[in-house]
Amino acid sequence: MNNFWLSLLGMSFITFFCRFFFFSKTVPFELSPKVKRVLSYTAPSVMTAMWVPIVFLGHQESSGDFITSPFLIAGIATIVFSLLMKNTLAVVVFGMSIFGLLKIFL
Amino acid sequence: MPSRTVVVTESVSRDIKIMNRGVLDIFPLALATVPWGVLCGSLAITVGLTPLQAQLMSLLIFAGAAQLASLTIMGSVGSLSSMFSSTFVISSRHLLYSAVFREHVSKSSLSLRCSIAFFLTDEMFAVTCAYMAKHKSFSAVYALSSGITFYLIWNISTFAGIVTGQYIPNLEHLGLEFAIAATFIAIVIPSINNRSTLVSVVTSGLSAIILSIFIEEYALIVATFIGMFCGYLTNDNYQKKEKINE
Repeated sequence: MNNFWLSLLGMSFITFFCRFFFFSKTVPFELSPKVKRVLSYTAPSVMTAMWVPIVFLGHQESSGDFITSPFLIAGIATIVFSLLMKNTLAVVVFGMSIFGLLKIFL
Repeated sequence: MPSRTVVVTESVSRDIKIMNRGVLDIFPLALATVPWGVLCGSLAITVGLTPLQAQLMSLLIFAGAAQLASLTIMGSVGSLSSMFSSTFVISSRHLLYSAVFREHVSKSSLSLRCSIAFFLTDEMFAVTCAYMAKHKSFSAVYALSSGITFYLIWNISTFAGIVTGQYIPNLEHLGLEFAIAATFIAIVIPSINNRSTLVSVVTSGLSAIILSIFIEEYALIVATFIGMFCGYLTNDNYQKKEKINE
């Protein structure tokens, strides 16, 4: 596996490049106010694009039913709870407990 | 000069408080990725890497999804170019994160910018954005302490995977990724305080589901862009301001 060292080096470079690119002072352009406004929606958009497939497509991995999927039921319960309660940790603990219970009993 | 000492100790104790916050906030997210770290370690051994090589992947690349994808490619005797292109596609979302943090770190030293960039993961971005929304300011101490915590747990779990190898039961089928979903829900839902954010969440969620059926590899990044643009387009304040300027 001589190629390994090359691939390790290449991949380390690519991941660091993506994370550092806009931190670089040699990237000359300033981000326009318009771009900054678009960017202000990054966090809600990217996080939603990650949690929605887990909640709504999670049943496919365990080849279970959509309606009785612990991912779906616990996900919706977590959404409801997060609307009632602003404490992040409490919401996570609640969501995980519901999910754990459903996993055991369903 | 006693007054200066007081100021110094005060700012140090404030930093320690922020540091503790960062460690605590990222902890549930770090725990949720433990099974994936273990999987990365054991899969690397299965594919034929030495323990040192397996650990170096987590130490240097530090990107779960990209590591798993490349190990799968290595296992099927894939080419370097396919490994690099999949790494780039999977990591491209980090470009967005670095653009978001750009204005906050632009005056920092090169070494600080490099460290924040190195530890910049989905989870670190998520908790740091939540911190910024709450305190109306970016904190390098917060970003670094949460990022380093995540790095340590990721590497310890990789090590566990290397040591236990193939004796590990199917951790990835336990559904621990639900912890990631629960944390992101807990961060995103309460942050919806206007119509345009709601629009960006709904559109990005819907497109994530639809796109993952057709173009799984690109679904995340494309859905993110759709959500961002829809949020931007429905922002009333900004449209009004533009009209006034006209």
